[in-house]
Amino acid sequence: MELFDNLLLGLSTALQFNNLLYCLIGVVIGTAIGVLPGIGPIPTVALLLPFTFGLPPESALIMLAGIFYGAQYGGSTTAILVNVPGETSSVVTCLDGHAMARQGRAGPALAIAAVSSFFAGTVATVVIALLSLPLAALALKFTAVEYFSLLVLGLLAAVILAHGSVSKSLAMVFLGLLLGTIGIDVNSGAARMTFGIPALSDGLDFVPVAMGMFGLAEIIANLERNEVRQVVSQKLRDLVPTRADLKAAFPAMVRGTAIGSALGVLPGGGAALPPFTAYALEKKIARDPQRFGKGAIEGVAGPEAANNAGAQTSFIPLLTLGIPANALMALMIGALMMQGIQPGPQVMTEQPALVWGVIASMWTGNLMLLIINLPLVGLWVSMLKIPYRLLFPAIVLFCCIGTYGISNSVFNVWLMLGCAMLGYFFIKVGVEPAPLLLGLVLGPQLEENFRRAMQLADGDPSVFLTRPISAVLLAVVAVLLLAMLSPAVLRKRTQALAE
Amino acid sequence: MKYRRLGAAVAALALCGALIPTLVQAQSFDRPVRIVVPFAPGGTSDILARLISPKLSEAVGQPVVVENKPGAAGNIGADAVAKARPDGHTLLLMDIGSLAVAPSLFSDLSYDVKKDLEPVGMVMFGPYVLAVHPSVPAKTVPELVDYAKANPGKLAVANSGVGALNHITSVALARGLGIDWKAVPYKGGAAASRAVVSGESTVIINGATATLPFVTSKQLVGIAVTGDARLPALPEAQTFKEAKLPLADAGTWQALLTTGKTPAAVVARLNAELQKILAMPEIKEKVAEQGGMVRPGTPDEVKAWLATNIESWGGIVRAADIKSN
Repeated sequence: MELFDNLLLGLSTALQFNNLLYCLIGVVIGTAIGVLPGIGPIPTVALLLPFTFGLPPESALIMLAGIFYGAQYGGSTTAILVNVPGETSSVVTCLDGHAMARQGRAGPALAIAAVSSFFAGTVATVVIALLSLPLAALALKFTAVEYFSLLVLGLLAAVILAHGSVSKSLAMVFLGLLLGTIGIDVNSGAARMTFGIPALSDGLDFVPVAMGMFGLAEIIANLERNEVRQVVSQKLRDLVPTRADLKAAFPAMVRGTAIGSALGVLPGGGAALPPFTAYALEKKIARDPQRFGKGAIEGVAGPEAANNAGAQTSFIPLLTLGIPANALMALMIGALMMQGIQPGPQVMTEQPALVWGVIASMWTGNLMLLIINLPLVGLWVSMLKIPYRLLFPAIVLFCCIGTYGISNSVFNVWLMLGCAMLGYFFIKVGVEPAPLLLGLVLGPQLEENFRRAMQLADGDPSVFLTRPISAVLLAVVAVLLLAMLSPAVLRKRTQALAE
Repeated sequence: MKYRRLGAAVAALALCGALIPTLVQAQSFDRPVRIVVPFAPGGTSDILARLISPKLSEAVGQPVVVENKPGAAGNIGADAVAKARPDGHTLLLMDIGSLAVAPSLFSDLSYDVKKDLEPVGMVMFGPYVLAVHPSVPAKTVPELVDYAKANPGKLAVANSGVGALNHITSVALARGLGIDWKAVPYKGGAAASRAVVSGESTVIINGATATLPFVTSKQLVGIAVTGDARLPALPEAQTFKEAKLPLADAGTWQALLTTGKTPAAVVARLNAELQKILAMPEIKEKVAEQGGMVRPGTPDEVKAWLATNIESWGGIVRAADIKSN
């Protein structure tokens, strides 16, 4: 019954008029920055932080949280329409979402993305309310050893993720891992492959690499193709998903939500793992994996649900333990401290109206996002009718502003342009950049955790098998590897590729 | 002698500047002022810069913009300020512990900490708390030292990165006390705290704000604090000085600096405004929430602080052969 009391307390806070207003402001700003490629929630929240001083703590946090999950909604819009992932989390949405848009089905793709996000957001709110404490305890059981095993599983998913040849996707994963080693090594402090350039010492930033390889490379390829772009029909019937779409998407939404809720709690790998894992799972269990990458609606629904659920459950370590799961949560801690609230495990008991108010506001916020986004689908889709000669300079401009804004450095703009050239080359030779990005994101964490686990265990590798969570994860890896390499599967794969 | 006279002249000039409005015009600010924070948003330096900027803006009559230029342990942001026009319109707010160790840590530093940066004034000091995971059977400094001596190599001290001041402190403690513990680097203080709360590592030396909540909730055991006095929130923990531990003044020392060769009058004006801001009750209160206390003072105090610690902290880095490049 305590749960009901808590939720009621939360709703009574979240439904106060001023809190509803701040929630609305938050989600509207979030959607806007999500739609603009490259301008992410982190600089936005940092910029708005001083404005929250004057607000009561719950209003401040409700607004900042709204910006965060609002950006997850908005990010998928640009990914689907113009193939530019603004956030780590929307890379996967590019794959099938943009394929759908090219087939003139941008409307259903956007609608399914919004509906999946809402569904995941609602479920994740309940998950947070019910399971915060046990989940936070579980997250604390994840030490370097468990992270390493989880990341191995994630990287294996990258190979499954790619369509086309296994050798090509393996090559891309390894190239990604290699690029991930650039920068100062966390364990020894040695600079690797930085060529004395200080801007490289913290490694390659993910956003410019992703925007260059996906967005700009795609633009170059489009300009060269000179194809007549699909004229998008404006009939309402074509904007909403069909019954068949919904039927196909629903199970994917449920699975994506489950994956996202679980992985979101884990600090660190947060943003990249949930959507990638959800996509890999959808592709693995689909009856016809060949459809993926060519506009499969499950490929949009699963990752979108996973990314939104993950965004919300990443609040669990913050609210229950006072530990930030990612850079944005660290900013939230900053916001709390400015309000005179010491983040930590005691917040939940000392400030119940704040904690439960924020949790309840996530649900009202998600409802607002759905109401804002569904009618906007038509508007976004009509953006595609803008002549490409006007649209592409605008995208390039926003990409440049966004990448510059990450750390106020021109270096990232050059990095993006370099990656655009590389991405164009990849399109020409027919390889997928997605596994490379996963390698780039997960590689450094894989190495860091492996070496830390070894340092703590005095170099004894048996810890990976003696610790139960790690052993289970590695067992799953072994089963997947066996399944992939077994002759029967290999034959089937060759057949499928021949078709 | 010459310098002291110059200092007196500067002080006199600053005094005149405060008294005679026409003289203030001479050191006026004619375009927006930037405060460069060489770290990502959300950290202590960033929060302090955002606290100070509106007040400074009122004082100088120009917009004051906070600009995050993260990367290379603060060197990218510091380098940008070191190479800016020396007119006091480009400021740097950072933990100057990083500046003190940078010359020893990086062999190819692109700026000279002493020459290319001009201190404006100290802003705050935040003490460190030395805490352990409850699985470690120690509640006081002697107990911890005994345990560490009986179990060499067993304790793992989490730090926020190779060459970070809490890494250097752990190295200095190991050398000073003759104990053997592992220094385990993490990406930032938050990751290090998390690792010690989960028991992955067992000891942490980190800012009071980040550490105290876990001590209050009994997830960590507070053992000692740096700084001059015990913390009201942790009265049973000795200070490093009481326990005769090395590096008793370790912690986060946040200061405001500007480009080297900035005219002394401009630096004096900035320092005068900074002192007024640090005296405001609301600023004191907000700084206390960051786990520290405001540190009013002259530019020369920061200069002396840097000169001392480039030697003493830098000496530990060189002796332990810690490198980052």
